[in-house]
Amino acid sequence: MNKDKENSFNTPEGYFDSFHDRLMARMEKEAQTDSVIPKSDGFAIPEGYLDGVTPKIMSKTTEEDGKVIQLKSYKKFYYGAAAVAAVFVLVFGINWKSTPTVAFDDLANAEIDAYFESNELDINTYELAELVSLDNVELNDVLEQDLDAENILQYLDETVDDIDELNLDYSDYE
Amino acid sequence: MIVEEALIKELKQKESQAKAFEVLVNTYKERLYWHIRRIVLDHDDADDVLQNTFIKVYRNIDGFKGESKLYSWLYRIATNESLTFLKQKSKKAGISDEELKNRMVENLQSDVYFEGDEIQLKLQRALATLPDKQKLVFTMKYFQEMKYGDISEALETSVGALKASYHLAVKKIESYLKEN
Repeated sequence: MNKDKENSFNTPEGYFDSFHDRLMARMEKEAQTDSVIPKSDGFAIPEGYLDGVTPKIMSKTTEEDGKVIQLKSYKKFYYGAAAVAAVFVLVFGINWKSTPTVAFDDLANAEIDAYFESNELDINTYELAELVSLDNVELNDVLEQDLDAENILQYLDETVDDIDELNLDYSDYE
Repeated sequence: MIVEEALIKELKQKESQAKAFEVLVNTYKERLYWHIRRIVLDHDDADDVLQNTFIKVYRNIDGFKGESKLYSWLYRIATNESLTFLKQKSKKAGISDEELKNRMVENLQSDVYFEGDEIQLKLQRALATLPDKQKLVFTMKYFQEMKYGDISEALETSVGALKASYHLAVKKIESYLKEN
């Protein structure tokens, strides 16, 4: 028996060693008995779906493999191609060194959009504002429509009740 | 285990890859389908995610080092694909994750592949209130009847934490069902 030095209470041998397991077993038992949770969740599946899904998946993977060309039977063409490639390397080799490095500006907008679309960025608008200095951003960079004089005039025309009150000099916009 | 090791070996060899992959798909498609379906709820979405999961497995099989069991690796990919799918769906619809979950449950009422009655619909409403991890643990244990050890490997969480999560989930669901 274990004896507590301070208050002389006793516990059965190995009581604390097995406590965790007994607690977990009881929690599980409690969860299973008298539960109001239904045994089935009601989901159904279309007839024959599982039989048909394997060929669908297999065809998608073979589509990828289909692009691979077996080189073995084209060995002599392979050598010829290598020779032509070697000539090209010699002719254009000098220009290779001057190949510009890829910069941020070279990324297509669609690629950047796709990145933001598919990646969950853990960054809020305030943090973004701190990272991107507004001094370096032109207003026209962030607007969908360029902010030219015609658009400003159109906006004012649609939103201001009496455009004449603004005393605009129309000659500037004609 | 020996069978699994042999399958992994065949999956990594070009000449036996296609056949071994077919075996893999046939072995795990049903279990993974139900795992995914219980996350995304809609059959067509589950079909998309299941196919994406297997294609991802096919593309990355060379990178599988065998440090964990094959099925737990598959479950991890399926779970990540499902959760990412839902995140993208809410983003595209311009709504919050919670709003999407509520809509998904309400859509079940008109879903031809949902045969549940009012209590099962209520269960889905209760599940929608749980954090992702608790919901995953609950469905894997309660409906898929997986062992804690297997769930632990798939979700990379200790068995103790899983048991606590499951217990909490059951209590929350029960009280939701009783109150509503």
